[in-house]
Amino acid sequence: MQTVDMQQLKAGEVNLGTSIMAVQFKDGVVIGADSRTTTGSYIANRVTDKLTHVHDRIYCCRSGSAADTQAVADIVHYHLQILTQQSGSAPTVATAANVFQKLCYQNKDGLMAGIIVAGWDKEIGPSVYNIPLGGGLFRQPWAIGGSGSTYVYGYCDATFKDGWGKEETINFVKNTLALAMSRDGSSGGVIRMCVITEEGVERLFVPGNELPKFWEGEEVLGKPTKIIPESPAAPMEVEA
Amino acid sequence: MSIMQHNGGSVIAMVGKDCVAIASDLRLGVQSLSISSNFEKIFPVTERLYVGFPGLATDVTTLREVFRYRVNMYTIKEERAIEPTIFTQLVSSTLYERRFGPYFIEPVIAGLQKTPSGSYEPFIAATDLIGCINFAKDFVVAGTASEKLFGVAEGLWEPGLEPEDLFETISQTLMNAVDRDAFSGWGAIVHVITKDKVITRKLKGRMD
Amino acid sequence: MAATSAYNSPGFDFSNTYRNQFLADRGVPLPKATSTGTTIVGCLFKDGIVLGADTRATEGPIVADKNCEKIHFISDNIRCCGAGTAADTEFTTALISSNIEMHALTTGRKPRVVTAMTMLKQMLFRYQGNIGAALVLGGVDITGPQLFTIHPHGSTDKLPYVTMGSGSLAAMAIFESQWKPDMEREEALHLVTLAISAGIFNDLGSGSNVDACVITASGTEMLRNFVKPNERVEKERRYVFRRGTTAIKEEKVRRWVVDEEEVTPVGGEEMDTS
Repeated sequence: MQTVDMQQLKAGEVNLGTSIMAVQFKDGVVIGADSRTTTGSYIANRVTDKLTHVHDRIYCCRSGSAADTQAVADIVHYHLQILTQQSGSAPTVATAANVFQKLCYQNKDGLMAGIIVAGWDKEIGPSVYNIPLGGGLFRQPWAIGGSGSTYVYGYCDATFKDGWGKEETINFVKNTLALAMSRDGSSGGVIRMCVITEEGVERLFVPGNELPKFWEGEEVLGKPTKIIPESPAAPMEVEA
Repeated sequence: MSIMQHNGGSVIAMVGKDCVAIASDLRLGVQSLSISSNFEKIFPVTERLYVGFPGLATDVTTLREVFRYRVNMYTIKEERAIEPTIFTQLVSSTLYERRFGPYFIEPVIAGLQKTPSGSYEPFIAATDLIGCINFAKDFVVAGTASEKLFGVAEGLWEPGLEPEDLFETISQTLMNAVDRDAFSGWGAIVHVITKDKVITRKLKGRMD
Repeated sequence: MAATSAYNSPGFDFSNTYRNQFLADRGVPLPKATSTGTTIVGCLFKDGIVLGADTRATEGPIVADKNCEKIHFISDNIRCCGAGTAADTEFTTALISSNIEMHALTTGRKPRVVTAMTMLKQMLFRYQGNIGAALVLGGVDITGPQLFTIHPHGSTDKLPYVTMGSGSLAAMAIFESQWKPDMEREEALHLVTLAISAGIFNDLGSGSNVDACVITASGTEMLRNFVKPNERVEKERRYVFRRGTTAIKEEKVRRWVVDEEEVTPVGGEEMDTS
């Protein structure tokens, strides 16, 4: 696969150096993402919502260029609204994923967008589709994406099991994202999640200070001790 | 070397008491080779409005014709002379039209604007090469000596100068700035625009 | 000279690009357009939005304009701060302002901030970042106060406090340490002033004065030169030259009023208006 020199193509671009994820379970799907948007080394937005609504029961997780993925999501949103009006019923997740795939494939030279489409529909229930950079389309029981995903493929392979319920799936997404965010410099902030079922869409939020913790080196370094400075920090003296 | 330095040349405009002045050098060169000492870059638009085009000489000529055409069309259509503010917008939009293939010109505009009461008030403006307007209350500069002009003008200009004093201030500002610029000089021309007359003077300057 | 037709097609004119590219290929660097190193901010408060901007325009290391306006008009209830290429921010906001007015006229409704935001992002995305406008868009509409940032490539963010431009880091430091929800108008205006001041004093690309704009449901208040922390002190000495200092080679005077004669009609006939 040829990789277009995207980084050079759009210098100074706003990026979603991201950790995103979607997992299907019996009654629906759980999708999740970190909340970091960067321009170079600056965090342009630390509470970004990368879980984007495209229809009542269909969402997408965006990774890559913020501008490209927003534009694509907006266009898909438009197409799905037209489709709903014409057919009189809600589109399937497969339909939405195919619209995404078409846009991403036909404009592959100009886009930097890695998108995961997930949701619930009447035909086949819950489903997750992965559309990576070149514009391919793959249905998967679980999908991860963005720069942070490379760190957690092994964890997902080792942990994922069929037949989980809602809570187990939520925990899996939460743990995976926390691990990805801790290793990937361009992911971070908070975890946003959505549980999409026939009943509706439930939004979940994990603040940055309540992320699941894993091994942090206590065994080697000992418990962190509170250091009390001899004199409390005083403001710098400035001439009037 | 940038294309803006290719032919050399500088323009400055200043506000005075009920008057404005616009001045430029007269050099036309090709890089370090001087070709002409009589290349005027300031052109009259209306009786009380002048425009200066420092930059690439080919674009000076082209834009002079473009604006002559557009101003004439405006005058025929509107049946009135174009006012400085409107002309500035015309310059701005004409340049921005070529945002992705610009003319290498940074226009300077100076004139007297008619007020609703029928009197005239001073108006000066400058734009960059893609038409971003800079409305100034004191002075505007452009061209290869712009940095020097900024410095000298900042020191010499003061509000409320009478036409004759404004002439001295703008002349000295220009002459002293272009003497320190290799690409500008070879004589200078100054136009002082007042309510009922325009005084044009050619200055005696260094010819090296 | 290129034929100047009476018809001007809309949009950009690329006819000079061949020539300019030729020059660039010959090793002549093409000049950069003036870019505004800027501090612009926006801040949400209890019943509206406060926008802020500095007033310095730069051309490389030169201060081109010491008191320019960076808060642009979109509609009565929407304003937009611009950073980046000066001409681009000026023209994009003017174009969207015009389109918003047309939209308001056709729909018969007051314009919404998201409408302006969508128009801006779609235009900037179409130009793939070549229009270098970084914007802070704020306003109050039927859905309440709204605040967005729009990046040159066309991505948008919706946040309660935003900063952009070269001074954005200095300004964001102020917001991150002092912003709180549901502030009063005065509190928010003060915070915006602090944020812009941080940009003015700590970022070389920003300077001069603080412009502010308060938008609430009841109206918009443009506070041009709200704070002027860098006023020039009056000159101690005058440098006016004695008349006749400059040597003149020739002089030409064009007088517009050649002759004036005042005629007072005494008991003139009335015009026949029958």
